[in-house]
Amino acid sequence: MILIVAEHADDRLKPISRELAVLGRELADDLGRTLTVAILARDPASLVEECRALGPDRIVTVAGDRLEPYDPDVWTAAVEALVSEDEPAFVLAGHTSTGYDFLPRVAARTGRPLVPACIEWQRHGERVVFTRPVFNAKMHMRVTPKGEGPCFVTAAPGAFPPREPDEAGSGPPQDGGEPRLDAFDVDLSGLPVRSKRIGRESAAAGALDLGSADIIVAGGRGIREKEHFGLIDDLAEALGGAVGASRPVVDSGWRPRDYQIGSSGQTVSPRLYVAVGISGAVQHLVGMQSSRCIVAINKDADAPIFKVAHYGIVDDLFSVVPEITRTVRALKGQSPPVGSAGSGRESD
Amino acid sequence: MSPGAAASGRDTLMKVIVCLRPVPDPASRLFVNEDRTWIKDAELSFVTNEADTHACEAALELCERVSASRSEAGEVVVLSIGRDRAARVLREGLAMGAARAIHLADDDFEGGDEYVRARMIARAVEKDGGADVLLTGVQSDDLGGGVTGVMAAELLGWAHASVVVGVNAVEAGLRARRELEGGLIETLELATPCVLTIQLGINQPRYATLRGIMAAKKKEMKTWSRGDLGMAAGDVGSEGALCQVTEVRVPERDHRVQMLSGSPAEAAARLVEKLRLEAKVI
Ligand SMILES: Cc1cc2nc3c(=O)[nH]c(=O)nc-3n(C[C@H](O)[C@H](O)[C@H](O)COP(=O)(O)OP(=O)(O)OC[C@H]3O[C@@H](n4cnc5c(N)ncnc54)[C@H](O)[C@@H]3O)c2cc1C
Repeated sequence: MILIVAEHADDRLKPISRELAVLGRELADDLGRTLTVAILARDPASLVEECRALGPDRIVTVAGDRLEPYDPDVWTAAVEALVSEDEPAFVLAGHTSTGYDFLPRVAARTGRPLVPACIEWQRHGERVVFTRPVFNAKMHMRVTPKGEGPCFVTAAPGAFPPREPDEAGSGPPQDGGEPRLDAFDVDLSGLPVRSKRIGRESAAAGALDLGSADIIVAGGRGIREKEHFGLIDDLAEALGGAVGASRPVVDSGWRPRDYQIGSSGQTVSPRLYVAVGISGAVQHLVGMQSSRCIVAINKDADAPIFKVAHYGIVDDLFSVVPEITRTVRALKGQSPPVGSAGSGRESD
Repeated sequence: MSPGAAASGRDTLMKVIVCLRPVPDPASRLFVNEDRTWIKDAELSFVTNEADTHACEAALELCERVSASRSEAGEVVVLSIGRDRAARVLREGLAMGAARAIHLADDDFEGGDEYVRARMIARAVEKDGGADVLLTGVQSDDLGGGVTGVMAAELLGWAHASVVVGVNAVEAGLRARRELEGGLIETLELATPCVLTIQLGINQPRYATLRGIMAAKKKEMKTWSRGDLGMAAGDVGSEGALCQVTEVRVPERDHRVQMLSGSPAEAAARLVEKLRLEAKVI
């Protein structure tokens, strides 16, 4: 059996749950196993309908007041109990702030292998080989879990995209009929409370909504200094687009938090995304890889951003970006605005 | 006195252990090694993993704040696994202001995965008499799994919070701000002892001063071997790992990318033409 631990919020499945179903179904079919989706919630019944659409062979519900709000100790205990009861071959969760928070605890408690941030898998004879990005995605590492017994996997968000609803073969299995529905009883009420959520807020309470932008020019750590970020502003202005940033730009205070694109920032899919001096870490790609056209400008030809780009220029951004801005302006008959950073840089 | 200190009979108010991992300088060009199981790292220069420098700063700030408010001393201990590289990052931690260092060094420690390192960290923490807080970086710039700290918490039997962007001592233990997806932050109250994995950007790590560097030379650095940790040869290194590395490879580039060459002006002109006429996005 393959066991998926579904993620949900506000009585809805999170998108990662659909991605886990893709990976889970692939593994189940290839290994000739069944697919079970586990719902851990205060009131799992409200999520059963949505879980049916994931096409599992079985849905198992675990109900308990302590399961929400999420507490890693409680989720660890529940999943560990499920695993020792059902003995699944693989247990899948998202490489998300929930999945990578509790699944490592279950793996360590049972002394069984964990593959974090899995992006791909293959069969090698009897064994399954998983691929995970290492060295900030500059390299890929293939690993084989050792020994017998359950193996734990967190799937990188975006790595197993669900098929569009209109494509053939998606949706619940037509022939397999209804998935079996089981309730799993485990007493979680006696667990000590070691961590307690006392608040929740949005860090990027600013007004910048990049989700609806048609064109985004995003700058990364390759810009090196706050003063140089005007290069990005200029190109964005010439293209009539918005400005975005990778996390280090925001962490360094060059731009406010609401400019950040990626897993802990905004998710965007503009018509055109220009990534300047951004390496293409998994957490950044998650936020922009569905953009229609991606341009990457980076001096490192091996930078992982080129894996998702449509057009790439391998060169120093400080020479290339002003040229692009100039070309676009010439094309559109614009003249550079007075005091733009492009002219500012000539003086340093 | 904190619960952890009371349990261990320590007299410091707060003891924080920080894990520092040496990783190849992120600017390095990387090549796969002969047997395709890792990179060629003998010639590379190694630095402290970026998130770990934030963890070290967070530990120092936490102890400074506690000391200032309750006029009792806090102690920051830095911990690292590996040979000379680890000793070097430990000296950096000492120069930043940590009080002492624990160096886990043994030929048997080569290779290994997050589980192996979490076990070694947990053993070392126990051998050192426990702590109130154990800090790691959110993830390393080499394996990047982001799970070692959480595993160590489980093996120690401690609570944890991952991806922490703010931390303060409170009466009940710690108050930590944890980062979720999409810019959401949750605030947690945690009982000590606990493990926190520290996110990038939580603080600005201090630079070591010349005085700090000089002082670091006189600070204590314990070196513990596999035997000192009471671990069997099969528990450490690649033998102790729960996953076997089958292959390390350079990712294939998606064939769809068109690389535009030429001088900056030529490449720019080509790009703009492609965007207009081929992709039709501008
Ligand atoms: C839990 C978690 C959540 C995260 N969330 C996010 C997120 O939401 N968004 C995000 O972006 N990151 C996020 N990160 C961080 C992420 O892992 C990377 O660290 C980050 O994306 C790297 O940003 P970067 O590409 O700008 O910097 P780097 O990785 O340092 O890359 C800089 C790039 O610039 C290039 N460069 C340097 N100089 C030049 C030059 N002169 N000309 C051309 N190119 C040059 C370099 O070759 C390099 O590729 C998160 C990490 C964690 C652990």
